[in-house]
Amino acid sequence: MASVIGAAARSTRPRISALHGLVAGAALLLALWPLVFGNKFLLALATLVALYAIGAASLHLIIRTGHVSFAHAGFMGVAGYVAVLSQMRLGLPFAAALPLGCLAAATVALAIGPLILRVTGKYFVLVTFLFGEILRLVFTEWTAVTGGSNGIFDVPPPAPVFATPLGFYYLALGAAVLCVGIVARILGSEIGRTIDALREAERLAECSGVPVIRWKVAVFVVACALAGVQGVLQAHYLRLIDPTTFSIVESLNLVVMNVIGGMQRLAGALIGALFLTALPELLRGYVEMQRVFFGIILIIVMAALPGGIIEIGARLRALGKAR
Amino acid sequence: MSRLLETSGLSRSFGGLRAVAGLSFAVAEGEILGLIGPNGAGKTTAINLLSGVIKPNAGRVVFAGEEVTGLPPHHLARKGLVRTFQSTVVYGHRTVRENALRGAFLGLYPGVVPAFLGTLRARARRRETEDRIAELLAWFGLDHLGEAIAGSLPYGRQKSLGMVIALAARPRLLMLDEPVAGLAAEEADQVLETIRRIRQRGVTLIVVDHNMRFISGLCDRLVVLHHGQELAQGTPQQVLADSAVIAAYLGRGHGAA
Repeated sequence: MASVIGAAARSTRPRISALHGLVAGAALLLALWPLVFGNKFLLALATLVALYAIGAASLHLIIRTGHVSFAHAGFMGVAGYVAVLSQMRLGLPFAAALPLGCLAAATVALAIGPLILRVTGKYFVLVTFLFGEILRLVFTEWTAVTGGSNGIFDVPPPAPVFATPLGFYYLALGAAVLCVGIVARILGSEIGRTIDALREAERLAECSGVPVIRWKVAVFVVACALAGVQGVLQAHYLRLIDPTTFSIVESLNLVVMNVIGGMQRLAGALIGALFLTALPELLRGYVEMQRVFFGIILIIVMAALPGGIIEIGARLRALGKAR
Repeated sequence: MSRLLETSGLSRSFGGLRAVAGLSFAVAEGEILGLIGPNGAGKTTAINLLSGVIKPNAGRVVFAGEEVTGLPPHHLARKGLVRTFQSTVVYGHRTVRENALRGAFLGLYPGVVPAFLGTLRARARRRETEDRIAELLAWFGLDHLGEAIAGSLPYGRQKSLGMVIALAARPRLLMLDEPVAGLAAEEADQVLETIRRIRQRGVTLIVVDHNMRFISGLCDRLVVLHHGQELAQGTPQQVLADSAVIAAYLGRGHGAA
Protein backbone atom coordinates (compact mmCIF):
# COMPACT_ATOMS: atom_id res chain seq x y z
CA MET A 1 0.00 0.00 0.00
CA ALA A 2 2.66 2.45 1.09
CA SER A 3 4.85 1.86 -1.94
CA VAL A 4 1.91 2.34 -4.29
CA ILE A 5 1.25 5.75 -2.78
CA GLY A 6 4.93 6.62 -3.02
CA ALA A 7 5.05 5.74 -6.71
CA ALA A 8 1.95 7.75 -7.50
CA ALA A 9 3.33 10.74 -5.65
CA ARG A 10 6.65 10.60 -7.45
CA SER A 11 5.15 10.71 -10.92
CA THR A 12 3.52 14.12 -10.44
CA ARG A 13 5.93 16.68 -11.89
CA PRO A 14 3.74 19.58 -13.02
CA ARG A 15 4.56 21.84 -15.99
CA ILE A 16 8.22 20.91 -16.09
CA SER A 17 8.25 20.30 -19.86
CA ALA A 18 6.60 23.65 -20.63
CA LEU A 19 9.25 25.37 -18.54
CA HIS A 20 12.05 23.53 -20.34
CA GLY A 21 10.59 24.58 -23.69
CA LEU A 22 10.42 28.19 -22.60
CA VAL A 23 14.02 28.16 -21.39
CA ALA A 24 15.23 26.53 -24.62
CA GLY A 25 13.32 29.10 -26.71
CA ALA A 26 14.78 31.98 -24.73
CA ALA A 27 18.30 30.58 -25.07
CA LEU A 28 17.89 30.25 -28.83
CA LEU A 29 16.59 33.81 -29.13
CA LEU A 30 19.48 35.15 -27.05
CA ALA A 31 22.09 33.21 -29.04
CA LEU A 32 20.69 34.47 -32.34
CA TRP A 33 19.92 37.99 -31.08
CA PRO A 34 22.92 39.72 -32.73
CA LEU A 35 22.23 38.00 -36.06
CA VAL A 36 18.57 39.00 -36.06
CA PHE A 37 19.15 42.55 -34.83
CA GLY A 38 22.40 43.81 -36.36
CA ASN A 39 21.82 47.09 -34.54
CA LYS A 40 24.63 48.27 -32.20
CA PHE A 41 22.23 49.80 -29.72
CA LEU A 42 20.24 46.60 -29.33
CA LEU A 43 23.44 44.58 -28.96
CA ALA A 44 24.67 46.88 -26.19
CA LEU A 45 21.28 46.63 -24.54
CA ALA A 46 21.32 42.84 -24.69
CA THR A 47 24.81 42.79 -23.16
CA LEU A 48 23.65 44.94 -20.27
CA VAL A 49 20.60 42.74 -19.73
CA ALA A 50 22.83 39.65 -19.63
CA LEU A 51 25.11 41.31 -17.05
CA TYR A 52 22.24 42.48 -14.86
CA ALA A 53 20.61 39.05 -15.06
CA ILE A 54 23.63 37.76 -13.12
CA GLY A 55 23.27 40.37 -10.39
CA ALA A 56 19.50 40.07 -10.12
CA ALA A 57 19.52 36.26 -10.08
CA SER A 58 22.23 36.10 -7.42
CA LEU A 59 20.34 38.63 -5.29
CA HIS A 60 17.23 36.49 -5.77
CA LEU A 61 19.10 33.63 -4.10
CA ILE A 62 19.64 35.77 -0.98
CA ILE A 63 16.04 37.00 -1.08
CA ARG A 64 14.87 33.39 -1.04
CA THR A 65 16.47 32.98 2.40
CA GLY A 66 14.25 35.83 3.59
CA HIS A 67 16.82 38.64 3.48
CA VAL A 68 16.81 41.60 1.10
CA SER A 69 20.41 42.77 0.76
CA PHE A 70 21.10 46.39 -0.15
CA ALA A 71 24.84 45.78 -0.39
CA HIS A 72 24.82 43.57 -3.45
CA ALA A 73 26.47 46.11 -5.76
CA GLY A 74 29.14 46.65 -3.10
CA PHE A 75 30.12 42.98 -3.34
CA MET A 76 30.21 43.32 -7.13
CA GLY A 77 32.61 46.20 -6.61
CA VAL A 78 34.90 44.15 -4.37
CA ALA A 79 35.15 41.49 -7.09
CA GLY A 80 35.52 44.10 -9.84
CA TYR A 81 38.35 46.00 -8.18
CA VAL A 82 40.22 42.89 -7.08
CA ALA A 83 40.01 41.36 -10.57
CA VAL A 84 40.94 44.55 -12.41
CA LEU A 85 43.84 45.32 -10.07
CA SER A 86 45.20 41.80 -10.14
CA GLN A 87 45.09 41.90 -13.93
CA MET A 88 46.51 45.40 -14.41
CA ARG A 89 48.97 45.60 -11.52
CA LEU A 90 49.95 41.96 -11.01
CA GLY A 91 49.64 40.90 -14.64
CA LEU A 92 47.35 37.95 -13.93
CA PRO A 93 45.39 36.62 -16.92
CA PHE A 94 41.63 37.27 -17.04
CA ALA A 95 40.90 33.60 -16.45
CA ALA A 96 42.64 33.84 -13.07
CA ALA A 97 41.53 37.38 -12.21
CA LEU A 98 37.80 36.64 -12.56
CA PRO A 99 37.72 33.77 -10.02
CA LEU A 100 40.07 35.72 -7.75
CA GLY A 101 37.64 38.64 -7.78
CA CYS A 102 34.71 36.37 -6.97
CA LEU A 103 36.71 34.74 -4.22
CA ALA A 104 37.38 38.18 -2.72
CA ALA A 105 33.65 39.00 -2.73
CA ALA A 106 32.91 35.59 -1.17
CA THR A 107 35.54 36.18 1.52
CA VAL A 108 34.04 39.54 2.49
CA ALA A 109 30.59 37.91 2.53
CA LEU A 110 31.87 35.11 4.73
CA ALA A 111 33.41 37.61 7.16
CA ILE A 112 30.30 39.78 7.45
CA GLY A 113 27.55 37.16 6.89
CA PRO A 114 27.53 35.46 10.31
CA LEU A 115 27.14 38.88 11.95
CA ILE A 116 24.47 40.46 9.78
CA LEU A 117 22.36 37.41 8.86
CA ARG A 118 21.13 37.15 12.44
CA VAL A 119 19.01 40.25 11.94
CA THR A 120 16.00 40.11 9.67
CA GLY A 121 13.53 42.34 7.87
CA LYS A 122 14.07 46.07 7.96
CA TYR A 123 17.07 45.74 10.25
CA PHE A 124 18.86 43.61 7.68
CA VAL A 125 18.03 46.21 5.05
CA LEU A 126 19.54 48.95 7.23
CA VAL A 127 22.67 46.99 8.07
CA THR A 128 23.36 46.02 4.45
CA PHE A 129 22.58 49.57 3.31
CA LEU A 130 25.28 50.78 5.69
CA PHE A 131 27.71 48.09 4.68
CA GLY A 132 27.23 48.87 0.99
CA GLU A 133 27.93 52.52 1.75
CA ILE A 134 31.08 51.56 3.67
CA LEU A 135 32.31 49.57 0.67
CA ARG A 136 31.60 52.50 -1.65
CA LEU A 137 33.55 54.81 0.70
CA VAL A 138 36.50 52.41 0.59
CA PHE A 139 36.38 52.44 -3.23
CA THR A 140 36.25 56.24 -3.23
CA GLU A 141 38.72 57.08 -0.48
CA TRP A 142 41.43 54.49 -0.96
CA THR A 143 42.80 56.56 -3.83
CA ALA A 144 46.24 54.97 -4.02
CA VAL A 145 44.73 51.60 -4.92
CA THR A 146 41.31 52.26 -6.45
CA GLY A 147 42.03 55.56 -8.18
CA GLY A 148 39.41 57.29 -6.01
CA SER A 149 36.28 58.68 -7.60
CA ASN A 150 37.98 58.81 -11.01
CA GLY A 151 38.37 55.06 -10.89
CA ILE A 152 40.69 53.05 -13.11
CA PHE A 153 40.68 53.68 -16.86
CA ASP A 154 41.70 51.56 -19.82
CA VAL A 155 40.70 48.23 -18.33
CA PRO A 156 41.85 45.78 -21.00
CA PRO A 157 39.40 43.43 -22.74
CA PRO A 158 39.33 39.95 -21.18
CA ALA A 159 40.89 38.55 -24.37
CA PRO A 160 41.31 39.91 -27.92
CA VAL A 161 38.35 37.87 -29.11
CA PHE A 162 36.08 39.65 -26.61
CA ALA A 163 37.26 43.11 -27.66
CA THR A 164 34.41 43.54 -30.16
CA PRO A 165 30.86 44.27 -28.96
CA LEU A 166 29.73 41.00 -30.55
CA GLY A 167 32.47 38.97 -28.87
CA PHE A 168 31.71 40.55 -25.52
CA TYR A 169 28.00 39.92 -25.92
CA TYR A 170 28.62 36.20 -26.19
CA LEU A 171 30.97 36.28 -23.20
CA ALA A 172 28.32 38.07 -21.13
CA LEU A 173 25.62 35.72 -22.37
CA GLY A 174 27.72 32.66 -21.56
CA ALA A 175 28.44 33.97 -18.06
CA ALA A 176 24.76 34.81 -17.51
CA VAL A 177 23.61 31.36 -18.62
CA LEU A 178 26.16 29.74 -16.34
CA CYS A 179 25.39 31.89 -13.29
CA VAL A 180 21.61 31.82 -13.70
CA GLY A 181 21.90 28.08 -14.36
CA ILE A 182 23.74 27.61 -11.07
CA VAL A 183 21.09 29.59 -9.20
CA ALA A 184 18.29 27.65 -10.92
CA ARG A 185 19.93 24.34 -10.10
CA ILE A 186 20.42 25.30 -6.46
CA LEU A 187 16.78 26.35 -6.11
CA GLY A 188 15.52 23.27 -7.96
CA SER A 189 17.42 20.81 -5.78
CA GLU A 190 17.01 19.70 -2.18
CA ILE A 191 19.07 22.79 -1.31
CA GLY A 192 16.26 24.97 -2.67
CA ARG A 193 13.64 23.04 -0.72
CA THR A 194 15.56 23.72 2.47
CA ILE A 195 16.12 27.40 1.61
CA ASP A 196 12.36 27.82 1.16
CA ALA A 197 11.72 25.94 4.41
CA LEU A 198 13.99 28.14 6.49
CA ARG A 199 12.49 31.30 5.02
CA GLU A 200 8.90 30.22 5.61
CA ALA A 201 9.29 28.84 9.14
CA GLU A 202 12.78 29.25 10.50
CA ARG A 203 12.09 27.70 13.90
CA LEU A 204 10.35 24.67 12.45
CA ALA A 205 13.15 24.08 9.94
CA GLU A 206 15.69 24.35 12.72
CA CYS A 207 13.83 21.74 14.76
CA SER A 208 13.92 19.44 11.72
CA GLY A 209 17.72 19.63 11.87
CA VAL A 210 18.56 22.54 9.54
CA PRO A 211 21.48 24.65 10.83
CA VAL A 212 19.73 27.84 9.77
CA ILE A 213 22.46 30.46 10.26
CA ARG A 214 25.09 28.29 8.59
CA TRP A 215 22.78 27.80 5.58
CA LYS A 216 22.01 31.48 5.31
CA VAL A 217 25.72 32.36 5.42
CA ALA A 218 26.54 29.73 2.79
CA VAL A 219 23.84 31.02 0.44
CA PHE A 220 24.97 34.61 1.04
CA VAL A 221 28.58 33.73 0.22
CA VAL A 222 27.66 31.89 -2.99
CA ALA A 223 25.35 34.71 -4.10
CA CYS A 224 27.99 37.39 -3.49
CA ALA A 225 30.57 35.35 -5.42
CA LEU A 226 28.14 35.09 -8.35
CA ALA A 227 27.42 38.82 -8.16
CA GLY A 228 31.16 39.26 -8.50
CA VAL A 229 30.94 37.85 -12.02
CA GLN A 230 28.81 40.81 -13.02
CA GLY A 231 31.15 43.25 -11.28
CA VAL A 232 34.21 41.92 -13.09
CA LEU A 233 32.58 41.66 -16.53
CA GLN A 234 31.01 45.09 -16.20
CA ALA A 235 34.43 46.69 -15.57
CA HIS A 236 35.76 45.03 -18.71
CA TYR A 237 32.72 46.02 -20.71
CA LEU A 238 32.85 49.69 -19.72
CA ARG A 239 36.67 49.63 -19.88
CA LEU A 240 36.43 51.51 -16.60
CA ILE A 241 35.85 50.76 -12.94
CA ASP A 242 34.70 53.53 -10.61
CA PRO A 243 32.67 53.77 -7.38
CA THR A 244 29.44 55.02 -8.96
CA THR A 245 28.82 51.67 -10.68
CA PHE A 246 28.75 50.01 -7.25
CA SER A 247 26.81 52.60 -5.28
CA ILE A 248 23.68 52.11 -3.22
CA VAL A 249 21.64 53.21 -6.25
CA GLU A 250 22.90 50.16 -8.12
CA SER A 251 22.05 47.88 -5.18
CA LEU A 252 18.61 49.42 -5.05
CA ASN A 253 18.27 48.82 -8.77
CA LEU A 254 18.90 45.10 -8.25
CA VAL A 255 16.33 44.97 -5.44
CA VAL A 256 13.76 46.76 -7.62
CA MET A 257 14.43 44.25 -10.43
CA ASN A 258 13.49 41.45 -8.05
CA VAL A 259 10.46 43.24 -6.67
CA ILE A 260 9.06 44.32 -10.00
CA GLY A 261 9.67 40.97 -11.66
CA GLY A 262 8.35 38.95 -8.73
CA MET A 263 10.28 38.01 -5.58
CA GLN A 264 9.05 34.44 -5.25
CA ARG A 265 10.47 33.06 -8.49
CA LEU A 266 13.86 33.16 -10.20
CA ALA A 267 12.11 34.00 -13.47
CA GLY A 268 10.83 37.15 -11.74
CA ALA A 269 14.40 38.36 -11.17
CA LEU A 270 15.22 37.76 -14.85
CA ILE A 271 12.09 39.53 -16.08
CA GLY A 272 12.93 42.40 -13.72
CA ALA A 273 16.49 42.60 -15.06
CA LEU A 274 15.16 42.75 -18.61
CA PHE A 275 12.45 45.27 -17.78
CA LEU A 276 14.57 47.60 -15.67
CA THR A 277 17.59 47.58 -17.98
CA ALA A 278 15.66 47.93 -21.22
CA LEU A 279 13.06 50.47 -20.11
CA PRO A 280 15.37 53.42 -19.29
CA GLU A 281 17.32 52.81 -22.49
CA LEU A 282 14.16 52.77 -24.58
CA LEU A 283 13.02 55.99 -22.91
CA ARG A 284 16.27 57.73 -23.84
CA GLY A 285 14.46 59.59 -26.63
CA TYR A 286 12.59 61.63 -24.06
CA VAL A 287 15.58 62.94 -22.14
CA GLU A 288 13.65 65.51 -20.10
CA MET A 289 10.83 63.22 -19.14
CA GLN A 290 12.78 59.94 -18.90
CA ARG A 291 12.80 59.72 -15.10
CA VAL A 292 9.19 60.78 -14.84
CA PHE A 293 7.97 58.18 -17.35
CA PHE A 294 10.13 55.56 -15.70
CA GLY A 295 8.67 56.33 -12.28
CA ILE A 296 5.10 56.35 -13.57
CA ILE A 297 5.54 53.01 -15.34
CA LEU A 298 7.01 51.45 -12.20
CA ILE A 299 4.08 52.67 -10.11
CA ILE A 300 1.53 51.40 -12.61
CA VAL A 301 3.18 47.98 -12.80
CA MET A 302 3.37 47.60 -9.03
CA ALA A 303 -0.21 48.80 -8.55
CA ALA A 304 -1.57 46.43 -11.19
CA LEU A 305 0.66 43.46 -10.29
CA PRO A 306 1.62 43.51 -6.61
CA GLY A 307 3.30 40.11 -7.01
CA GLY A 308 5.48 41.40 -9.84
CA ILE A 309 5.35 41.07 -13.60
CA ILE A 310 5.50 37.30 -13.29
CA GLU A 311 1.97 37.45 -11.91
CA ILE A 312 0.73 38.01 -15.47
CA GLY A 313 1.33 34.31 -16.12
CA ALA A 314 -0.75 33.21 -13.13
CA ARG A 315 -3.52 35.67 -14.06
CA LEU A 316 -3.65 34.37 -17.62
CA ARG A 317 -3.81 30.77 -16.40
CA ALA A 318 -6.62 31.70 -14.01
CA LEU A 319 -8.46 33.39 -16.89
CA GLY A 320 -7.97 30.31 -19.06
CA LYS A 321 -9.40 28.07 -16.34
CA ALA A 322 -12.36 30.36 -15.75
CA ARG A 323 -13.49 30.04 -19.39
CA MET B 1 15.48 0.45 31.48
CA SER B 2 18.25 2.85 30.56
CA ARG B 3 17.89 6.56 30.93
CA LEU B 4 17.54 8.36 27.60
CA LEU B 5 17.22 11.89 28.90
CA GLU B 6 18.14 13.34 32.24
CA THR B 7 17.99 16.90 33.50
CA SER B 8 19.39 18.26 36.73
CA GLY B 9 18.79 21.68 38.24
CA LEU B 10 17.51 23.09 34.96
CA SER B 11 16.63 26.77 35.42
CA ARG B 12 15.64 29.72 33.32
CA SER B 13 14.57 33.23 34.31
CA PHE B 14 13.09 35.99 32.19
CA GLY B 15 13.98 39.25 33.87
CA GLY B 16 12.85 38.76 37.44
CA LEU B 17 10.49 35.89 36.64
CA ARG B 18 11.79 32.42 37.36
CA ALA B 19 9.96 30.49 34.64
CA VAL B 20 11.66 27.19 35.45
CA ALA B 21 13.68 26.66 38.61
CA GLY B 22 15.77 23.61 39.47
CA LEU B 23 13.93 21.09 37.33
CA SER B 24 15.35 17.56 37.64
CA PHE B 25 13.88 14.43 36.11
CA ALA B 26 14.78 11.47 33.93
CA VAL B 27 13.04 9.71 31.06
CA ALA B 28 13.69 6.04 30.49
CA GLU B 29 13.98 4.58 27.01
CA GLY B 30 10.53 3.63 25.70
CA GLU B 31 8.66 5.56 28.36
CA ILE B 32 5.92 8.16 27.99
CA LEU B 33 6.57 10.95 30.46
CA GLY B 34 3.95 13.61 31.12
CA LEU B 35 4.94 17.13 31.99
CA ILE B 36 1.88 18.77 33.49
CA GLY B 37 0.86 21.83 35.40
CA PRO B 38 -1.63 24.68 35.15
CA ASN B 39 -1.14 27.57 32.73
CA GLY B 40 1.99 29.53 33.58
CA ALA B 41 3.57 26.63 35.44
CA GLY B 42 6.62 26.66 33.15
CA LYS B 43 5.73 23.74 30.87
CA THR B 44 6.41 25.58 27.62
CA THR B 45 9.66 27.02 28.97
CA ALA B 46 10.68 23.50 30.00
CA ILE B 47 10.08 22.05 26.52
CA ASN B 48 11.83 25.05 24.94
CA LEU B 49 14.84 24.38 27.18
CA LEU B 50 14.88 20.68 26.34
CA SER B 51 14.61 21.28 22.59
CA GLY B 52 17.28 23.99 22.56
CA VAL B 53 14.94 26.76 21.47
CA ILE B 54 16.06 28.73 24.53
CA LYS B 55 19.19 28.27 26.63
CA PRO B 56 19.13 27.57 30.37
CA ASN B 57 20.68 29.89 32.97
CA ALA B 58 21.73 26.91 35.02
CA GLY B 59 21.51 23.13 35.11
CA ARG B 60 22.37 20.29 32.77
CA VAL B 61 20.65 18.17 30.15
CA VAL B 62 22.09 14.76 29.30
CA PHE B 63 20.75 12.90 26.26
CA ALA B 64 21.80 9.31 25.50
CA GLY B 65 24.74 9.62 27.89
CA GLU B 66 25.99 12.82 26.33
CA GLU B 67 25.79 16.35 27.73
CA VAL B 68 23.66 18.46 25.38
CA THR B 69 22.98 21.51 27.58
CA GLY B 70 22.49 24.68 25.52
CA LEU B 71 22.91 23.02 22.12
CA PRO B 72 20.84 24.58 19.32
CA PRO B 73 17.70 22.77 18.06
CA HIS B 74 19.23 21.55 14.78
CA HIS B 75 22.04 19.92 16.71
CA LEU B 76 19.60 18.17 19.05
CA ALA B 77 17.43 17.06 16.12
CA ARG B 78 20.49 15.42 14.59
CA LYS B 79 20.97 13.49 17.84
CA GLY B 80 17.33 12.37 17.78
CA LEU B 81 15.60 14.89 20.05
CA VAL B 82 12.67 16.39 18.15
CA ARG B 83 9.63 18.40 19.19
CA THR B 84 6.28 19.66 17.96
CA PHE B 85 4.84 23.10 18.63
CA GLN B 86 1.84 24.05 20.71
CA SER B 87 0.13 26.27 18.19
CA THR B 88 0.05 24.41 14.91
CA VAL B 89 3.26 25.17 13.08
CA VAL B 90 3.31 23.93 9.52
CA TYR B 91 4.48 25.41 6.22
CA GLY B 92 1.05 26.87 5.51
CA HIS B 93 1.44 27.63 1.81
CA ARG B 94 2.82 24.21 0.91
CA THR B 95 1.27 20.84 0.25
CA VAL B 96 0.98 18.25 2.99
CA ARG B 97 3.53 16.06 1.25
CA GLU B 98 6.00 18.95 0.89
CA ASN B 99 5.59 19.65 4.62
CA ALA B 100 6.46 16.06 5.45
CA LEU B 101 9.46 16.07 3.09
CA ARG B 102 10.80 19.19 4.78
CA GLY B 103 10.48 17.46 8.13
CA ALA B 104 12.63 14.65 6.72
CA PHE B 105 15.54 17.02 6.00
CA LEU B 106 18.04 14.93 7.97
CA GLY B 107 17.35 11.76 6.01
CA LEU B 108 16.64 13.46 2.70
CA TYR B 109 19.45 15.96 2.33
CA PRO B 110 22.48 14.24 0.81
CA GLY B 111 25.02 17.07 1.24
CA VAL B 112 25.75 20.08 -0.95
CA VAL B 113 27.50 18.44 -3.89
CA PRO B 114 25.22 15.39 -4.35
CA ALA B 115 22.17 17.64 -3.94
CA PHE B 116 23.46 20.13 -6.52
CA LEU B 117 24.41 17.44 -9.01
CA GLY B 118 21.35 15.28 -8.32
CA THR B 119 23.50 12.17 -7.99
CA LEU B 120 22.21 8.62 -7.76
CA ARG B 121 22.69 8.73 -4.01
CA ALA B 122 20.57 11.88 -3.81
CA ARG B 123 17.85 10.23 -5.89
CA ALA B 124 17.95 7.06 -3.83
CA ARG B 125 17.52 9.09 -0.65
CA ARG B 126 14.64 10.93 -2.25
CA ARG B 127 12.84 7.69 -3.21
CA GLU B 128 13.46 6.14 0.17
CA THR B 129 12.20 9.28 1.94
CA GLU B 130 9.11 9.54 -0.25
CA ASP B 131 8.14 5.97 0.57
CA ARG B 132 8.69 6.61 4.26
CA ILE B 133 6.67 9.84 4.07
CA ALA B 134 3.83 8.11 2.23
CA GLU B 135 3.68 5.52 4.97
CA LEU B 136 3.67 8.19 7.69
CA LEU B 137 0.91 10.14 5.95
CA ALA B 138 -1.17 6.99 5.60
CA TRP B 139 -0.65 6.27 9.26
CA PHE B 140 -2.06 9.69 10.20
CA GLY B 141 -4.89 9.44 7.68
CA LEU B 142 -3.42 12.19 5.56
CA ASP B 143 -2.48 10.09 2.53
CA HIS B 144 -5.43 11.24 0.44
CA LEU B 145 -4.56 14.85 1.32
CA GLY B 146 -0.96 14.73 0.11
CA GLU B 147 -1.48 17.47 -2.46
CA ALA B 148 -3.71 19.64 -0.25
CA ILE B 149 -2.33 22.98 0.97
CA ALA B 150 -1.44 22.58 4.64
CA GLY B 151 -2.84 25.95 5.70
CA SER B 152 -6.27 25.06 4.36
CA LEU B 153 -6.63 21.92 6.50
CA PRO B 154 -8.80 21.89 9.61
CA TYR B 155 -7.07 22.46 12.94
CA GLY B 156 -6.91 18.81 13.98
CA ARG B 157 -5.38 17.78 10.65
CA GLN B 158 -2.76 20.49 10.95
CA LYS B 159 -1.84 19.18 14.39
CA SER B 160 -1.47 15.69 12.90
CA LEU B 161 0.72 17.13 10.19
CA GLY B 162 2.85 18.78 12.86
CA MET B 163 3.43 15.31 14.31
CA VAL B 164 4.21 13.89 10.86
CA ILE B 165 6.83 16.62 10.34
CA ALA B 166 8.43 15.76 13.68
CA LEU B 167 8.32 11.99 13.08
CA ALA B 168 9.79 12.45 9.60
CA ALA B 169 13.02 13.46 11.34
CA ARG B 170 13.14 9.93 12.86
CA PRO B 171 13.40 10.99 16.52
CA ARG B 172 14.54 8.78 19.40
CA LEU B 173 12.79 11.13 21.79
CA LEU B 174 9.74 13.06 20.65
CA MET B 175 8.43 15.99 22.68
CA LEU B 176 4.80 16.91 22.08
CA ASP B 177 3.71 20.38 23.17
CA GLU B 178 -0.01 20.25 24.08
CA PRO B 179 -0.98 17.66 21.45
CA VAL B 180 -4.70 17.75 22.29
CA ALA B 181 -5.19 21.43 23.08
CA GLY B 182 -8.19 22.73 21.17
CA LEU B 183 -9.29 19.31 19.92
CA ALA B 184 -12.73 17.75 20.32
CA ALA B 185 -12.94 14.74 22.66
CA GLU B 186 -13.16 12.31 19.76
CA GLU B 187 -10.09 13.77 18.04
CA ALA B 188 -8.23 13.79 21.35
CA ASP B 189 -8.90 10.05 21.73
CA GLN B 190 -7.42 9.46 18.29
CA VAL B 191 -4.30 11.43 19.23
CA LEU B 192 -4.03 9.36 22.40
CA GLU B 193 -4.10 6.18 20.34
CA THR B 194 -1.54 7.62 17.90
CA ILE B 195 0.87 8.52 20.70
CA ARG B 196 0.66 4.95 22.03
CA ARG B 197 1.48 3.64 18.58
CA ILE B 198 4.43 6.02 18.25
CA ARG B 199 5.78 4.50 21.44
CA GLN B 200 5.27 1.00 20.06
CA ARG B 201 7.63 1.96 17.25
CA GLY B 202 10.37 2.47 19.81
CA VAL B 203 10.13 6.23 20.23
CA THR B 204 10.35 7.65 23.75
CA LEU B 205 7.93 10.50 24.43
CA ILE B 206 7.59 13.57 26.61
CA VAL B 207 4.05 14.94 26.48
CA VAL B 208 3.33 18.41 27.79
CA ASP B 209 -0.27 19.21 28.65
CA HIS B 210 -2.48 20.63 31.34
CA ASN B 211 -5.32 18.18 30.89
CA MET B 212 -4.87 15.80 33.82
CA ARG B 213 -7.48 13.30 32.64
CA PHE B 214 -5.89 12.98 29.19
CA ILE B 215 -2.35 12.76 30.38
CA SER B 216 -2.79 10.44 33.37
CA GLY B 217 -4.42 7.85 31.15
CA LEU B 218 -1.54 7.99 28.72
CA CYS B 219 1.68 8.42 30.66
CA ASP B 220 3.83 5.97 32.58
CA ARG B 221 5.07 8.70 34.85
CA LEU B 222 4.24 12.34 35.51
CA VAL B 223 6.21 15.39 36.52
CA VAL B 224 3.98 18.10 37.95
CA LEU B 225 5.13 21.70 37.61
CA HIS B 226 3.87 24.62 39.65
CA HIS B 227 5.29 28.15 39.48
CA GLY B 228 8.29 26.82 37.58
CA GLN B 229 9.15 24.25 40.22
CA GLU B 230 8.63 20.55 40.50
CA LEU B 231 5.70 19.79 42.75
CA ALA B 232 5.59 16.02 42.47
CA GLN B 233 6.94 13.17 40.40
CA GLY B 234 5.85 9.57 40.02
CA THR B 235 3.24 7.28 38.50
CA PRO B 236 -0.14 8.87 37.74
CA GLN B 237 -1.64 7.08 40.79
CA GLN B 238 1.07 8.41 43.11
CA VAL B 239 0.81 11.92 41.74
CA LEU B 240 -2.97 12.00 41.87
CA ALA B 241 -2.83 10.97 45.51
CA ASP B 242 -0.24 13.61 46.38
CA SER B 243 -1.77 16.18 48.71
CA ALA B 244 0.38 19.03 47.37
CA VAL B 245 -0.78 18.28 43.83
CA ILE B 246 -4.41 18.11 44.88
CA ALA B 247 -4.11 21.41 46.72
CA ALA B 248 -2.19 23.29 44.04
CA TYR B 249 -3.46 21.84 40.84
CA LEU B 250 -6.67 19.91 41.27
CA GLY B 251 -7.97 21.92 44.17
CA ARG B 252 -9.72 24.38 41.90
CA GLY B 253 -12.64 22.77 40.10
CA HIS B 254 -11.16 19.29 39.88
CA GLY B 255 -11.67 18.43 43.51
CA ALA B 256 -13.56 15.25 42.77
CA ALA B 257 -10.78 13.79 40.60
